[in-house]
Amino acid sequence: MEKVLAKKSFPQWVKTLSSYKIFAPIEKEDLWSYELIEKPEQINLDYLNTVLSPKKIIFPQREVYLEFFASNEEGIEVKELLPDEKPSVIFGVRPCDAKALTLTDKVFGGDFEDLYYWNRRKQTALVGLSCSTPPSPNCFCLTVDGSPFSKDGLDVLMTDLGDKYFVETLTKKGEQLVNSAKTLFKAPTEKDKKNLAKIQQDAKKKITRQVENIKKVPPQLKEMFDSPLWDEESMSCIQCGICTYLCPTCHCFDINDEIDSSSPLKGKRIRTWDNCQFPDFTMHSSGHNPRPDKASRLRQRIMHKFQYFVELYKNYQCTGCGRCISQCPVGIDIIEVLDKVSDYGA
Amino acid sequence: MNGENKQLTISNPFLPEPARIVRTYYLTEDVKFFQVRVVDMDKALSFKYCPGQFAMISVVGAGEAPFSISSTPSRPGLLEFCIRKVGGVTNALFRMKENDLIGIRGPYGNGFPVERMRDKDILIVVGGLGTAPLRSVLLYCLDNRDQFRRVSLLHGAKRPSEMIFREEFFALKEREDLECHLAVDGDDTGTWTENIGVVTTLFPKLKEIDPSSTYALVCGPPVMYKFVIKEFVKLNIPKDQILMTLERRMKCGVGKCGHCAIDYIYTCLDGPVFTYWDVIHMRELI
Repeated sequence: MEKVLAKKSFPQWVKTLSSYKIFAPIEKEDLWSYELIEKPEQINLDYLNTVLSPKKIIFPQREVYLEFFASNEEGIEVKELLPDEKPSVIFGVRPCDAKALTLTDKVFGGDFEDLYYWNRRKQTALVGLSCSTPPSPNCFCLTVDGSPFSKDGLDVLMTDLGDKYFVETLTKKGEQLVNSAKTLFKAPTEKDKKNLAKIQQDAKKKITRQVENIKKVPPQLKEMFDSPLWDEESMSCIQCGICTYLCPTCHCFDINDEIDSSSPLKGKRIRTWDNCQFPDFTMHSSGHNPRPDKASRLRQRIMHKFQYFVELYKNYQCTGCGRCISQCPVGIDIIEVLDKVSDYGA
Repeated sequence: MNGENKQLTISNPFLPEPARIVRTYYLTEDVKFFQVRVVDMDKALSFKYCPGQFAMISVVGAGEAPFSISSTPSRPGLLEFCIRKVGGVTNALFRMKENDLIGIRGPYGNGFPVERMRDKDILIVVGGLGTAPLRSVLLYCLDNRDQFRRVSLLHGAKRPSEMIFREEFFALKEREDLECHLAVDGDDTGTWTENIGVVTTLFPKLKEIDPSSTYALVCGPPVMYKFVIKEFVKLNIPKDQILMTLERRMKCGVGKCGHCAIDYIYTCLDGPVFTYWDVIHMRELI
């Protein structure tokens, strides 16, 4: 379903969605972040890329998932804390970040369904905003089968046409959102459609960064386990882990207990994002570490995203958002690494 | 995932099930034996596992860690673990007494392919705490003795005082339907009556084997695998009949948290039992 929505009507639309929790990008001290919105007027869709992707709403950085406390009868009682199931809408989702959720879906699904992830995921509608202008100088979505107008994972896709948005509803969930304020949405004119096509065409041209030969990367990686490239490329790494913490597709987590009181016992079990770039990540309690150095950990990051995941799910585990490049304190650039991989031995 | 095995908690895989420590005692200075029973009797009996699988054990307040199951499914109801005191969770476990409550979830992992191992010769090579998972398959073979042909065990420990299940293995040595060779790297007691040397020095003592119908199993400290596998290969045992169970850091046990990822597989789902064939095709395994 294709519609247009006047920009000035946008807050009214959001108002009609009062039964939903609304999340949208908010600017805080020069940084953009997805936050819970109280008033529709808070939403400003002229934002650049957010620091974290909306993954943080579906799969929070820190999640208390069990509570435990001493009880008289059975000694210790363990209580399961499942996320509340109020429906949510996230506005202003970049197409790359929506696609990223379709990739984490694969991990959190399977034989053991992760209820914490899926309870939120199923209740959350994603309203995308296409990237007429790349939100980051390091955007490279076109390399990894994405596009500034990709609809993967989205329920609604909005495109900025100047004084109005072109609104495409893509799923049942998306239709419900648009239907809640039917009168605000108008049928697009021929001019609107032409405008959209023009903006889409131009947007692709504005993406300047790409991996020259991405198709060669997965087969090349297969032969590069022992390559000196990993040593060379990881030399400057300070193991801060920012590349993986900011990545919209990374899903690794740690599990720990936190004690509020030891007598009587009261505490919680939490899971927090973890990071394959840390030495601890694979270290056995005996001290043995099967991935003992920076080189093997960088190799793991690149291999997982561009070979193992491809082998398993036929997708790169990367959506080209460019966060890991922009924020790396020592300038490790995944595009440059992949270019070297594709040229390796040539 | 082994299809016949039912999980304890079907809806939420992260929820531990209360279990009681029935017996616990020291096997060596830093390794303790734990026998536990899931409190809910129905669940205790429906905890169906396969030798080589593992479980996540929780000590609330200290955390959760993966442990090989050392008991055999042929003796249902009670689960046994042998655990070395090395980290936060194991330190907390060592402070617990009989009748104390822990949490357990599982069983996880693939386990040994016992169906395929039927009517074959079984050669088990163990080093140190590698006994934990392989005791399960050894007892399973002995409990179902008529289903397997020759069963042999080569067991190595650093010192006599570090040999776990010492009485049990010395008793097994007396069995006529098991070929059992024990060794220690060094004897600081002067009382050791068996072999002295690393576990690979026991191979020449093995009676001649029929390689094509032998399954060879190994578990031990990381350094041991390459040397033992070399011996298996020398004996001409086929690559897909050389089985090993591997240790990895794990947090979730169900293929989400990423810690045990190797190549495109997860040790917790697709392992911890691998063949030598897997090792050749997947880097980083051993």
